[in-house]
Amino acid sequence: MPALTRPAPFHLLLAFASGGLLTLMVDFNGLVALHAGPFYSSWVAHGTGTVAALIFLGVLRLASRDDGKTDTPQKPRAPLWAYLGGVSGAVTVMLTSHTVNTALALSGTLALGLAGQVLFSLAADRWGLLGMQVRIPGLRDFSALALIFAGSMIIIFGQG
Amino acid sequence: MTLAILYALLAGVLVSLSRQINGRLSLSTSALTASFWNHIVGLAVLTVLGLALGGLWPQGALDAPWHAYLGGTMGVIFVASGSWLIARIGAVNTAMLVIGGQMVSGVLLDLVRGAQDNIVTSVVGVAMIIAGMSLTQKR
Repeated sequence: MPALTRPAPFHLLLAFASGGLLTLMVDFNGLVALHAGPFYSSWVAHGTGTVAALIFLGVLRLASRDDGKTDTPQKPRAPLWAYLGGVSGAVTVMLTSHTVNTALALSGTLALGLAGQVLFSLAADRWGLLGMQVRIPGLRDFSALALIFAGSMIIIFGQG
Repeated sequence: MTLAILYALLAGVLVSLSRQINGRLSLSTSALTASFWNHIVGLAVLTVLGLALGGLWPQGALDAPWHAYLGGTMGVIFVASGSWLIARIGAVNTAMLVIGGQMVSGVLLDLVRGAQDNIVTSVVGVAMIIAGMSLTQKR
């Protein structure tokens, strides 16, 4: 298991870029949903994603075809539940496509969604939930969290 | 309304829960393999639900512009990078940095499209996010 560290600039850039990718992804999936509904949009994204992942894995395998000379250390086996991350993603879509049509609208759904992520992540790090490492958040983490969360709220509720 | 609030909170919890689970799988396999399982299992669940409830192939299924169907491929990269990051910098850091990137890029996208209603609050929000992100950095 890699040791947990504070984010280095590379981690920050990767995470920031993946947040940007998420913005585009939500936009693209929203465009499919506009034509054919949120359920179909999520289904087709999971289907095309499965095919894309297979292609990526195939390309990586071809690129790194090793001749059996390198010994890779044996990794611990994954428990069966570790394959079920996709279930919670599938349920998320159904919840949010419902809540955006209530009085919460998009801004309320986004804001509460961020709050849910923050709360769960704090617990996940604090107790090393689901086989991950414990990482007790300190003052610096809480300050960063407060700034990012408050900044997000100002952006979300400042519109309109 | 109370139910809607619970649902919206739960949706956020599930986003982090799935990143935690995929992160665990990536420790035994690789981040890309974890992303593959995330997508194929999600596809199976949604297919069963769609067959049971109907509406798997609605009208307009192929009417969106072609590039809109690239969302799934982006999702693969997104899940793989999240699984890789969470094993290295933890759940809170990953969530914060991804949220920061999502909010700032959202502001930029709205700006490009001329859909930015309130530039002042957006600038203040982005400044706070950048300050928070720089606090997470190694000294």
